[in-house]
Amino acid sequence: MKTTVTHRAPVQRMGLRAWFKTITFYEILLGMKATLGHLLNYKPVTIQYPHEKRNLPDNYRGMLALLRYDDGTEKCVGCDLCEAACPSRVIRVVSAEVPGEPTKRYSKEYYMDMTRCLFCGMCVEACPVDALGMTREFEWAVYDKRQLHLNKEQLLAIGDRSFPIREKRLELQHPNVAFFNIPFKHVPQKPA
Amino acid sequence: MTELSLRLAISLAQIAAVMGIVMLTVMILTLAERKVLGWMQDRMGPMEVGPYGILQPIADGLKLFFKEDIVPAGANKFMFSLAPILAMVPALIGFAVIPFGPSLTFEVGGIKVQPFVISDINIGILYILAFTSIGAYGIILGGWASNSKYSLLGGLRSAAQVISYELNVGLAIVGVLILAGSLSLVKIAEGQAGGFWHWYLFALPMPQILAFVVYVISSVAETNRVPFDLPEAESELVAGFFTEYSGMRFAFFFIAEYANMVLVSCVAAALFLGGWNAPYPGTILGHLGIGSIAWIENVAWFTVKVYFFLFLFFWLRATLPRLRYDQLMRFGWKVMLPIALGNIIVTSIGAYFFRQ
Repeated sequence: MKTTVTHRAPVQRMGLRAWFKTITFYEILLGMKATLGHLLNYKPVTIQYPHEKRNLPDNYRGMLALLRYDDGTEKCVGCDLCEAACPSRVIRVVSAEVPGEPTKRYSKEYYMDMTRCLFCGMCVEACPVDALGMTREFEWAVYDKRQLHLNKEQLLAIGDRSFPIREKRLELQHPNVAFFNIPFKHVPQKPA
Repeated sequence: MTELSLRLAISLAQIAAVMGIVMLTVMILTLAERKVLGWMQDRMGPMEVGPYGILQPIADGLKLFFKEDIVPAGANKFMFSLAPILAMVPALIGFAVIPFGPSLTFEVGGIKVQPFVISDINIGILYILAFTSIGAYGIILGGWASNSKYSLLGGLRSAAQVISYELNVGLAIVGVLILAGSLSLVKIAEGQAGGFWHWYLFALPMPQILAFVVYVISSVAETNRVPFDLPEAESELVAGFFTEYSGMRFAFFFIAEYANMVLVSCVAAALFLGGWNAPYPGTILGHLGIGSIAWIENVAWFTVKVYFFLFLFFWLRATLPRLRYDQLMRFGWKVMLPIALGNIIVTSIGAYFFRQ
């Protein structure tokens, strides 16, 4: 049996250069040079937020809104696909028939609980008639949480103020019919 | 009786002037620190109150003044109230012996007045050291009386740290005292006249460079500033000894810390960097033949030196991380103390052989 190996901390011998660096505070002086360099070449990265705002990217996903056609009719056809697509159960749609037209539906009530929304945009992708949009609004801090529980009128109002240019309603399309807003080839285009 | 009241009035006027200047400096420092730190970290610092945030100290002061004054349950009320005063008074009282300008005298009604020093006592530097030691009591008592574990830990750390590093401060300045042959700050500053090669930092044959380094490092530690801010380490102790303080009592501790910074900067400037002396012989205004207002130049040089040290405090704060407690103690006792003692020995031997 060999003798047991004792682990002893190796004696740290400081080289002349390392010793000189230590006594002259070389590393501290390097750090101080760096901070002084930042002071002399002062380029702040701060954006003074309430006074200046950064440019939002084109695909910014902000507050949700319900949209209208150019003649003021609602786009939403009450299909519930947004409610199904929503991962956070933000949206609640109460769908109803258009009075007098049993094949056509619209959303009688439409609620969004924005306290739960995570702005994933899946409802917008799911919508077959492009009735939902994401605005560039983000300053929605409120004192009362219940103010974030939005109904249809509020969502339409957001859409009205954020999307002034509305989509044209196509020829032969009933205001509340889900024709998926795709122009049919055999249907003549509405003159511009 | 009229002579006594006149003397009293002159002294009170001087005290009021010095206190006003110190408080103004503290106000400037609170803003300057945040600004300089911000600039060094590519930020802007306070920008909202006034143009470029220059009225921020006033807003801070108003806020602290109107804050609720809370005494925690279980605290020793008397000690809790006494501690901020014990911290602040010694920090301000030390300015009584600092010479801010040349030692002129003029007579007012038969009384000699020195306009740039409140009282030129012959143990000036000893008086400052004694009172800064009392300042540590404020911190320790504040930590103990708060009935809070963070405060107590901060106070304990402060006790150990201030004792360790005050020793080094005291020993570092002994070399200067040997060269000057006086404890009076006025005499020490006068002894360094005639160009920067006469400052005790560079003065041949015994330049006090090592003592200066020891003094600067130890004074940073003594004022509880980064990288020696263990008593108020915010990542470990919330706020250390003033965790439980609020409102004006907190403001007192805050002012005390900044006034201490100004005080150690003044002492460093007076002892090592020639005090109010310009780094060239005489003064430019004196050479131009208007020596009667040369004191402006001298006071300006003193201000520049003091503000250089204050900038150094901010600069260190922006650069260095906090030391560990054992590193602090080892550095103080095993590095700073031997250097200071060695400096005393070398300086005294040198003074013995070269000064005759």
